[in-house]
Amino acid sequence: MKRGLITWDREEIPLSAFESRLDHARKILAERELPALAIYSDVWRSNQARYFSNFMPYWNRALLVAGRDGSLTLLCALSPRVYPWIRSVTVIEDIRPGANLAQQLLGMCRDKGWGKIGVADLALLPWDLYAAIGEGDAGVGDVPWSALHPGPDETELSLYRHAAKMARGIVEGELPGGTGLRDFEFAARMERKLRRAGAEDLVILLSHGKTAPVPAAGATLGREFSVTLAMEYRGHWIKLSRTHAPPDVMASVASRFRAGVPGGAGADPDSRAYMENLSGAYPYEPCSAAELTEGCLFALQAETRTGGRRLFYGDTFLQCRQGAELL
Amino acid sequence: MADRGWDLLLIYGHTWRKDFFRYLVNVNLSGPHMAAAVTAAGEVRLLVSDPWDTEAASTSGQAATIYEPDFAEGLKRLTAGQERAVVAIAGMEPMQARFVHAVCSATGKSPVSATLAVEELRRVKDPDEIETLKRAAILSDRGYQRFAEVIEIGMAEYELAAEVEAFLKSNGAEDNFMLIGSGGVEVTGMKPPTGRRFKPGDSVITELTPQLDGYWAQICRTLVLGEPDAKQLESFAIFAEARQAAEDLIAPGVDIAEVARAQNDVFRRHGFGEYTGPKYTRVRGHNLGLHPDENPYILEDVHCELKEGMVVIAHPNTYLPLSGYMVFGDSLLVTAGGCTSLNTTERKLFQK
Repeated sequence: MKRGLITWDREEIPLSAFESRLDHARKILAERELPALAIYSDVWRSNQARYFSNFMPYWNRALLVAGRDGSLTLLCALSPRVYPWIRSVTVIEDIRPGANLAQQLLGMCRDKGWGKIGVADLALLPWDLYAAIGEGDAGVGDVPWSALHPGPDETELSLYRHAAKMARGIVEGELPGGTGLRDFEFAARMERKLRRAGAEDLVILLSHGKTAPVPAAGATLGREFSVTLAMEYRGHWIKLSRTHAPPDVMASVASRFRAGVPGGAGADPDSRAYMENLSGAYPYEPCSAAELTEGCLFALQAETRTGGRRLFYGDTFLQCRQGAELL
Repeated sequence: MADRGWDLLLIYGHTWRKDFFRYLVNVNLSGPHMAAAVTAAGEVRLLVSDPWDTEAASTSGQAATIYEPDFAEGLKRLTAGQERAVVAIAGMEPMQARFVHAVCSATGKSPVSATLAVEELRRVKDPDEIETLKRAAILSDRGYQRFAEVIEIGMAEYELAAEVEAFLKSNGAEDNFMLIGSGGVEVTGMKPPTGRRFKPGDSVITELTPQLDGYWAQICRTLVLGEPDAKQLESFAIFAEARQAAEDLIAPGVDIAEVARAQNDVFRRHGFGEYTGPKYTRVRGHNLGLHPDENPYILEDVHCELKEGMVVIAHPNTYLPLSGYMVFGDSLLVTAGGCTSLNTTERKLFQK
């Protein structure tokens, strides 16, 4: 959960980045003759509203409504007592409270005279909202995320790169001290460092060599183990895996991983690759190489089986015309 | 299921709301999506969308797990052969619309929501669940002890949160829901940690909610950095009275609305009645379990009879102009004769 530092550093993400993203969305709305776009957001599905506004809810749900008239409104189930804080970390000024988001949206449509609005990835809306909005007077049209976000801009890329570098540094720095610790003690060490470095949210999984990476359960880490980290920094998720093992084993795992990267040297029969899309509504979702289009951010975790042990290595990439670029 | 005419019960979870799924299959899967299908004959099958979850799910002892990265497709497989069946879904509301459509297209019939029915089943805890909640409450006590130990003037809120998170994780917490606030009368509520650095005289408020084996227990306490001033002490005395009023009342058969009223009446008697409404506070407590903020909420307009075995937190948390937002509350087990606190942390205004 997002318990790290949720902030807006204007040097990292200038206001102009949000303006340009919203301008693009408004062009899409104009092409589709829609007066407004609604974007759903919750604790785990915050990527899309974050992209347009830097809003990342620590709890509950919200709808961000971008009007073609230049308005930007947050319909929010959180208490008005936290709105000053929301305003301080987002580009949003107009925040309207209410537990019933569908009713709020429909009321807004009535007030503004909007006959039909767009919803980002309509079919991905939670059922209760989808059904309630569908029963209202306003028509709704799907606006696919791929049209709204054709690829990461330079600001996003720079934050993804920063996040990946930070995560690699901390994970690799902690790995040598892991042997002999209980897995949750080791996970806690990483958590402390990553949160102190500004991570908002973390998912840490560990493999003792016999299973896929899973949440820590109290077992002691041996001479060889792997850690998989998903980390959100300033709303940008990256994912990586690293193995701790004798140097020759680690080198072999890393080289097999490189071979498994799309565009890498070639497939390894002893390796399995797990690919996840980081460019969608969720922080990460399983996907196949065939689904990766140019501009897509993805994570690739490779599993190598050596001497009966399962070792994991992975990282975050940008799919470019020439192939995968390590972030 | 038989009483309600359900042929198949689907229990859905996603990464944020795994609670319904974990009520049946208490394995901590990654997600983003997971479901369990229960037939009228009691057969259970699982559906996961993450390849690594397949292995984790296999530890649940359930018969079969389907792995399907396209979750909508997986739901069609899970409900195959159920043409015209009545499918009830617990957790249907947070489910993506396309998933509900997938069930509908597989069965030829719209599913119905089982959310409220399963929520009601979850409300009263069995002895194993209570034991887990007791352990989670002990961990929340230790977490607060750590909080009070490491906080110091000059430290940023998010640095303190990192220390507490690490402590809880290193002691087995799967997760933790934590909010914080610091400062004086300008503090109107809690939120995620900011970069604000603690100053002498600050009132530092937090709710810690560690999760152990799926279950969340909560503690709310307020700490003053330095000697509390007269207004902080006056404010705390009101909160202490309100918390006690709730705990004196909680017992099987009591309407939860009365628990809210008992707390609010204390504020009213002290002339702070206006601070018991939604402008200044959210709820006067809530149920605890597989979700950190379970129904029913303790509010004057929510009517629900307390039952033995429920675990609730009664917290009179609100803003008062005396010293800003203040918090105070324990996880409480409803017993045959009343309630007992699962926390052992001293009930006082902490100071450092």
